[in-house]
Amino acid sequence: MMHLFADVLDEQLHDVNGNKAGRIDGIVLELRDDKPPRLAYVEVSPITLLARFSQRLAHWFARFDRRLGPGRGAPFRIPWNRLTREDPAFKMDLDVEGTPINAFEDWLRERIVDHIPGS
Amino acid sequence: MKKVLQLALGIVTSVGGFLEIGSITTAAQAGAGFGYQLVWSILLGTICIAFLVEMSGRCAAVSKHTIPDAMRERFGARFYAIPLIVMLGVSLLVLAAELGGVGAALHLATGISIPVWAVPVLLLAWALLWYTSFSVIENGVSLLGLVTVAFAVGAVKLHPDYAAVAHGVLPTLPHEKASNYWFVAVSVLGASISPYLYYFYSSGAIEEKWDESYVGMNRAIAAMGMGFGGFLSIAVLVLAAIIFHPGNIEVKHYQQLPMLLTPAFGRPGFWLVVASLGIACLGATLEISLSLAYLVAQGFGWEWGEDLSPSDDARFSLTYTLLLVAASLFALLGVDPLKLTEISMALTAASLPVGVFPFLILMNDREYLHEHVNGWLSNGVVLLVSLIAAVLAIVSIPLELIGGGG
Repeated sequence: MMHLFADVLDEQLHDVNGNKAGRIDGIVLELRDDKPPRLAYVEVSPITLLARFSQRLAHWFARFDRRLGPGRGAPFRIPWNRLTREDPAFKMDLDVEGTPINAFEDWLRERIVDHIPGS
Repeated sequence: MKKVLQLALGIVTSVGGFLEIGSITTAAQAGAGFGYQLVWSILLGTICIAFLVEMSGRCAAVSKHTIPDAMRERFGARFYAIPLIVMLGVSLLVLAAELGGVGAALHLATGISIPVWAVPVLLLAWALLWYTSFSVIENGVSLLGLVTVAFAVGAVKLHPDYAAVAHGVLPTLPHEKASNYWFVAVSVLGASISPYLYYFYSSGAIEEKWDESYVGMNRAIAAMGMGFGGFLSIAVLVLAAIIFHPGNIEVKHYQQLPMLLTPAFGRPGFWLVVASLGIACLGATLEISLSLAYLVAQGFGWEWGEDLSPSDDARFSLTYTLLLVAASLFALLGVDPLKLTEISMALTAASLPVGVFPFLILMNDREYLHEHVNGWLSNGVVLLVSLIAAVLAIVSIPLELIGGGG
């Protein structure tokens, strides 16, 4: 038994290597005919997070994010069946480096931090 | 044996890290304005911060969560935004005051004005954060901060009236300057109960991989470290009460601070105050920068840690860099660090419930703390003192602004 709001939303996410991979910013349920709704995906994305405060802010950010490359401008979704609970966080069976979750981190590292001696 | 060493080091670093521009100037203003009458405010603030530090260490050791981590998880992103924004706003002012404090110490030492020092101080603080590890910052700077013990030695050398000091332990109503009395009391509380101290402490406990076996040691470090730190603040108040109060001299400029130790030590006293102010404020600068970066990074679930290289936690490193740059602007623009300290300490007191109340709820949640949840004493003391501080702040800040301190 799991409470979606208390036990899933806003929880820390780790990747397959144990690196931090953001927090679960949103939950996506699949509505099915004649069957109860099913937890399909979790979302890790500033767009989802901002939408919890203001749809307008989220739209604005998504428009900006779309310009950064193909596949951007929409929340990053992880299928629920790729997540396992490993206290005190959730673990996904993906490498965060291959996802948009770390896009800003990677950009900062490559463009700025790695150019500072001794970093 | 390893734990005994850790205990000793923990206490020493807590003592060394306690005094900073807030506690030094507010204690000096309290002693100068009201003699020993405001000793109670330091005592109350110290008891409250000792409880909060103990709670944050226990939270980390038992639940493996830092405070921001648990807050976002337990209360959700929408709620977490409130303490995040309030803490960032208020602590940025405190950070600016600390950077100003380092600049003030350098001004006293060299005669070169604070705005000239703004950029070198910024670079020094940034380089220490960027290139060194958590233990270097926590242990190194705090060990150097033990120079602040000179205040206690100085106070003893001036033979204070110990009975009068003891009398100040009990809160009394002011005989004169009522609005200023409460404003100074609030500033002292704000300076003692600095949220960055316990945010920093909980992240440190996670960085050092504490587990439940550390609960007892954590209690000893919090009680003794904060206790000795509060004792040093009282020493500053006692010195100011002896030196400034009889002549009705108010502490309005940081240039007056060296007078705290020159009667006891002569010319070396001047350098002891300069060193104390400079080192203590630099230490606080590093701790506040890290605390705020922890608050942001842990809230968003980013990679964080002072023991990682900046390349491994680029967003975390960028956060403290931007905060340092923003806070340095105050010194660069020539904002008086003492004025900034007065305002930021009072605002810290006013905003205490925003961070403290949700933290108390967490500390009573068995899902996180299991059998180590708060007892009635921790809950009662922290709730009562932070409420008193906030109410006094909300009442006294407008009175102080209208009355101009009269």
